[in-house]
Amino acid sequence: MFKFAPYLLKTLWRHRTRTLLTVSGSAVALFVFCFVLTVRQGLQRLTQQDDSVLIVFQANKFCPATSHLPQDYDQVISRMPGVRDVVPIQVFTNNCRASLDVVVFYGAPAEKVRRVRDFELIDGSWGEFESHQDAAIVGQALASRRGIQVGERFSVGDVTVAVAGLFTSQNRAEEDYVYCHLDFLQRTRGLDLVGTVTQHEVWLEDSANPEQAAAAIDEKLKSGQIETDTRTKGAFQASSLADLIHLIDLSRYLGWACLFLMAVLLATTTIMTVEDRIGEHAVLQTLGFSTRHVFRLVMSETVLLSVVGGCVGIALAVLALSQSALSVGAEAVTIAFEPSWDMVLTAALTSLVIGLIAGIAPAARAAKADIVTALRFSG
Amino acid sequence: MALIHVNQVTKQFRKGAETITPLKEAELQIERGQFVSLMGASGTGKSTLLNLIAGIDKPTSGRIIVDGTDITRLSRTKLAAWRARNIGYIFQTHNLIPVLTAYENIELPLMLLPMNRSERRRRVEVALTAVDLVDRANHYPRQLSGGQEQRVGIARAIVTDPTVVVADEPTGDLDTETSAQILELLERLNDELDTTLLMVTHDPDAAAIAERRLKLDHGRLIEHAQAAAPAVHAGAS
Repeated sequence: MFKFAPYLLKTLWRHRTRTLLTVSGSAVALFVFCFVLTVRQGLQRLTQQDDSVLIVFQANKFCPATSHLPQDYDQVISRMPGVRDVVPIQVFTNNCRASLDVVVFYGAPAEKVRRVRDFELIDGSWGEFESHQDAAIVGQALASRRGIQVGERFSVGDVTVAVAGLFTSQNRAEEDYVYCHLDFLQRTRGLDLVGTVTQHEVWLEDSANPEQAAAAIDEKLKSGQIETDTRTKGAFQASSLADLIHLIDLSRYLGWACLFLMAVLLATTTIMTVEDRIGEHAVLQTLGFSTRHVFRLVMSETVLLSVVGGCVGIALAVLALSQSALSVGAEAVTIAFEPSWDMVLTAALTSLVIGLIAGIAPAARAAKADIVTALRFSG
Repeated sequence: MALIHVNQVTKQFRKGAETITPLKEAELQIERGQFVSLMGASGTGKSTLLNLIAGIDKPTSGRIIVDGTDITRLSRTKLAAWRARNIGYIFQTHNLIPVLTAYENIELPLMLLPMNRSERRRRVEVALTAVDLVDRANHYPRQLSGGQEQRVGIARAIVTDPTVVVADEPTGDLDTETSAQILELLERLNDELDTTLLMVTHDPDAAAIAERRLKLDHGRLIEHAQAAAPAVHAGAS
């Protein structure tokens, strides 16, 4: 079929306005589909995180502002079997509700942040962060979104930090957070929360069973000052994002609707093309083109429109997602809108399949047309 | 044996409640290299007979054998492949592909045959030379006159060196002077390339250039030279 490529391309160029409109429509549909896919993949990454990390939260509390655990629980937990490390964390966020611009401060012992996170500083220094009480390191996505630079002071509500570094992480969601000193966050905002934390992050040995370890922690602290609820980090984040998960789950219908519209648009355009060229296809068949040739030519046109539109939509989505560093968050947990190769491949494959589906009926119609009758149409 | 043997061919189709029979038990034999014209009033079935021989239509009954192949028994796919190899079709309205140049239009049927690009180029150049359009090779149909378009159509029909060239009113859309040029070209192709030609026409002057003339008249196909002896039985209901 490649030898007919010039014919195919010239035909599309001849009807360039129609081609452009169809490609644009397909691009918009794939653009939205990519966004939906990205959000879903971001959520999947969060909720399917490594099971070897547990979050110990106050029982029956859901918002980080209401969870207050004794900081010294870390001593108790760290002595339990299977526990490798415990990080006490104080959380402060400007908005517990679902928002596209959540700023989350994580206060943790500075040396532990460096030890348990995979952060790579792209600006600033660890030394600066560790040596100043009000210093903080800021995720690259948040810094980009808010225009934050090293050396500046950054305020949200009553919390003001000195930016000592900007970091990137393998986990793109981390790039939406600000990490500062635990005791700084405990004392700021005119509060004295020294001795209490929002949660404890528990790192397990590879051999430990996460469910058993979580149950053992809750059991052990049952008789303590505050009752706890311990879950894997993935399950904890899924629980924090419960409301958003429902919305994101609904968004898949938006994705499907976009694909359906794209298929309808492509099929309509192709049917119009086939009806315009019924005589031309009859001439081709008179010259010796088989029904299969005509079927493939029409299919190729539809697939080409679909894939080109799809690629434009994907490229625009990748550009928009990577430039905007968008994220959505709730209860101090954020889902990063991070474009991925997986998303690109899925969307590209989808545009190919949509093109194939949309082209079948018009292509069959063109191929099966009676030659003599169709020639009468051509004049 | 005749190159084309139309044997007891009947073609019927329905038009509303009425059944039309443009051809009934038709008999016709055409020898290799003959130039045959077929005349008749509108609706007498001459284009139907042409389309049946070209393999773009199927008879209701009877057999059509072209160069030893019974084309009435071929599937749609095999018939398409057979047409690509054996039939050159010249249309009344040229029917060139508007997005392709004259060169590309002529090359189109060659792409269906097992042939490399250089061989295709050689054949297209020969065909363009035969119709005297070498200097118009890169022109699109909209940039050509009616006569030039028809010459491209003829070049496209002969480029595969087909067994039979069929022409359906090839001068029907042209003025007198251009018609004469096209007819002269067809005559020359028949003489020089020994192409077997079957031409349907309304025009007695056009029909006159053929070495054998047939006429469909009130359902009967009559040899012009032997008006009393019908060559084909044809009928309309």
